[in-house]
Amino acid sequence: MPLTFIDIERQKSWRITALFAFLAVLYFIFAFILFQAMVCYVPGVAVGGSFFILSSPRFVAAVAFSALLIASVHFLMSGLIAVRQVVEQIGAKDPDPEDGIHRQLINIAEEIRIASGGRKRIRCMVIPTLSANALAVADLRGEAVIAITEGLLSRLTRPQIEAVMAHEAYHVLSGDCLETSLATSFFGMYASALDSLRSGLAEEPRAWPVAAVFWVLVKFATAVNMFISREREYRADAGAVRMTRNPLALAEALDIIGKRWSGTGLISDGLEMLCISSPRISDHDESEGWWDDLMSTHPPIRRRIAILLGMAHVSASVLAKKETAKPAAQTDPAEPLYYALDPDNVWLGPFRVAELAAFSWFSPKTWMSTEAGGRAARASALGISDTLFGGLGQAEGHADMRCPSCRQPLAMVPYERTTIFQCAFCGGTLVENDKLQRVLARNEGDCSERIISLVRAVTADNQRSLAIRKLRQLDRRKEPPTLCPKCGRPMFRAFYSYAYLLEIDKCGICGVTWFDPEELEMLRCIIENRITPRID
Amino acid sequence: MAGPVLSAAIVLFFFWMVFIYNRLVRLRNDVGSAWSQIDVQLKRRHDLIPNIVAAVKGYMDFERDTLERVVSARAAAAAAVGVHEKAVSEGRLTGTIDRLFMVMENYPVLKSSENVMQLQEELVSTENRIAFARQFYNDLVANYRTKLDVFPDNIIASFFSFQGAEYFSAGEEDRALPSRGVGMRRND
Repeated sequence: MPLTFIDIERQKSWRITALFAFLAVLYFIFAFILFQAMVCYVPGVAVGGSFFILSSPRFVAAVAFSALLIASVHFLMSGLIAVRQVVEQIGAKDPDPEDGIHRQLINIAEEIRIASGGRKRIRCMVIPTLSANALAVADLRGEAVIAITEGLLSRLTRPQIEAVMAHEAYHVLSGDCLETSLATSFFGMYASALDSLRSGLAEEPRAWPVAAVFWVLVKFATAVNMFISREREYRADAGAVRMTRNPLALAEALDIIGKRWSGTGLISDGLEMLCISSPRISDHDESEGWWDDLMSTHPPIRRRIAILLGMAHVSASVLAKKETAKPAAQTDPAEPLYYALDPDNVWLGPFRVAELAAFSWFSPKTWMSTEAGGRAARASALGISDTLFGGLGQAEGHADMRCPSCRQPLAMVPYERTTIFQCAFCGGTLVENDKLQRVLARNEGDCSERIISLVRAVTADNQRSLAIRKLRQLDRRKEPPTLCPKCGRPMFRAFYSYAYLLEIDKCGICGVTWFDPEELEMLRCIIENRITPRID
Repeated sequence: MAGPVLSAAIVLFFFWMVFIYNRLVRLRNDVGSAWSQIDVQLKRRHDLIPNIVAAVKGYMDFERDTLERVVSARAAAAAAVGVHEKAVSEGRLTGTIDRLFMVMENYPVLKSSENVMQLQEELVSTENRIAFARQFYNDLVANYRTKLDVFPDNIIASFFSFQGAEYFSAGEEDRALPSRGVGMRRND
């Protein structure tokens, strides 16, 4: 390995040249065959029908020139737009500096820049999805982006994020990211052309030869990717350890990535070479041997973890220990419990603060007590209302937004290191759609038994009514729509998705989602615990 | 016959000398720029510490001792000159900050203050930046010093009196790995 990352950057240009040469040769072969075929067989152009006549130097030079021209245009076109293309495709966004976790990511990106000698500024971005993956992409203009999913960002500790960023930064600095980005870009162009051709093939049989050419090109491009892929992941792991000197953090991060949904179906085919772990499910990825080496884009994650653990001089049981230790940490015995006086003057409890928020009658004026039969005080005096009603009455400038059910002004409250709007009285929440994935992803799985039972009942009920509606071919249930707190127009009530059968209200105009009391917790609980509807 | 061969050898020798000299200069400049990166981050840390001390003071009345140690270590570090002295005093400062983070873990109320969390994140990040900048600097110094010592580069180096650069290390008490991310771990 060269000594510094500066040296690595100086060395990388020859491989790009090789890639260009490969492309030029590919085009030359195709142009040659195409010209030959045209001259020999197409009526009107055919001049004699012999292959040997056309092998004259002038013909070869003309073909070579046109192949070179097409290859250069293609190379530059896909090379210049690679970053933009990928960023658009995956919907990555710049990190939000107002958000605690995103600010941490911005800081980590700067740290990694310093660790690598500080020559190249790499943009970091966030992909708003719950899957756990990260990718790097670079282009010929020298622009480079590392994108990390919201799901991964919220599941990793700081040193682990650092290790993942360092891994991706090594790809960028060593130049193999540029190669794969370019290869992806070529591949993507043919693959999408092939896709659009495929649908038209039935009506247009004459398109077959073109489709065949594209198909062969796609296969060639895949083959190139296969050749350059597997080794470089090991190298990037080693490079990341070189930067952070923390092999254990990377091993832990890979362990988490390997056990989570890595974005299958979301990160499209053709981008998998850019990712830290392949989002495609393939048998080859977890096996070894020359054929698997050739066919997969990533080495087995187990093997990568084993190498990293070897560097850290620890055994695999460290990871297993972490895994088992986790659930114990989730129940927080220190969280205080409260008793509350309901509107019928009956003491209820004990409740945790989050549970109190769910009561429609709960307000800062509710009488509370910390022990049964103990001294009572207003919720505001106990300091509970500060967390639940924080921002209420303060000049936050959001008093114009009111809760659609109880008409109280919505307060801006901190939630999972970002901010959401909450009704101080019913506990309903308004989440901007760009923050929704963060809020959902940053869940540590500590939903209460009550919420779990509620979720099971509600999803089963929704599943049943959905089945009935489908069988009877009915439209949706008619309900008065909730009005958007932002624009006042009716919101659209729909399932979050058909996998997570929970109804929520969305405003298509303002891009916000309204959760009735507990719905947000329920949705987080469904996603974290993967609760599927069960009808007995 | 001997004339052309001799003059060719002299020309070759001259080019070789220029090549070695330029390489040494480039390495020396790389070391210099890496040092300035450490300096920038140290400055950033010195600027941040008063803010975080002010922010946590109200919450941590019982830990006045810890806070005072951080403040005095910062003052000593800010006054230090020269690579070795800086390395020693900054190592001590790192120790006191680690201790502060550890103490802060005992105050869950600090975690609910976004301002403290933000300042802590900035400080953790700066600690990491210093560690990384130091690592990069020391790598470059090692490379440069090797080049000064190996034959035949050492002839050119001593002829033009190239000075070796000093490692940024604090000696015995700072041998442990820099503890990154203390207090900022989630899901641990």
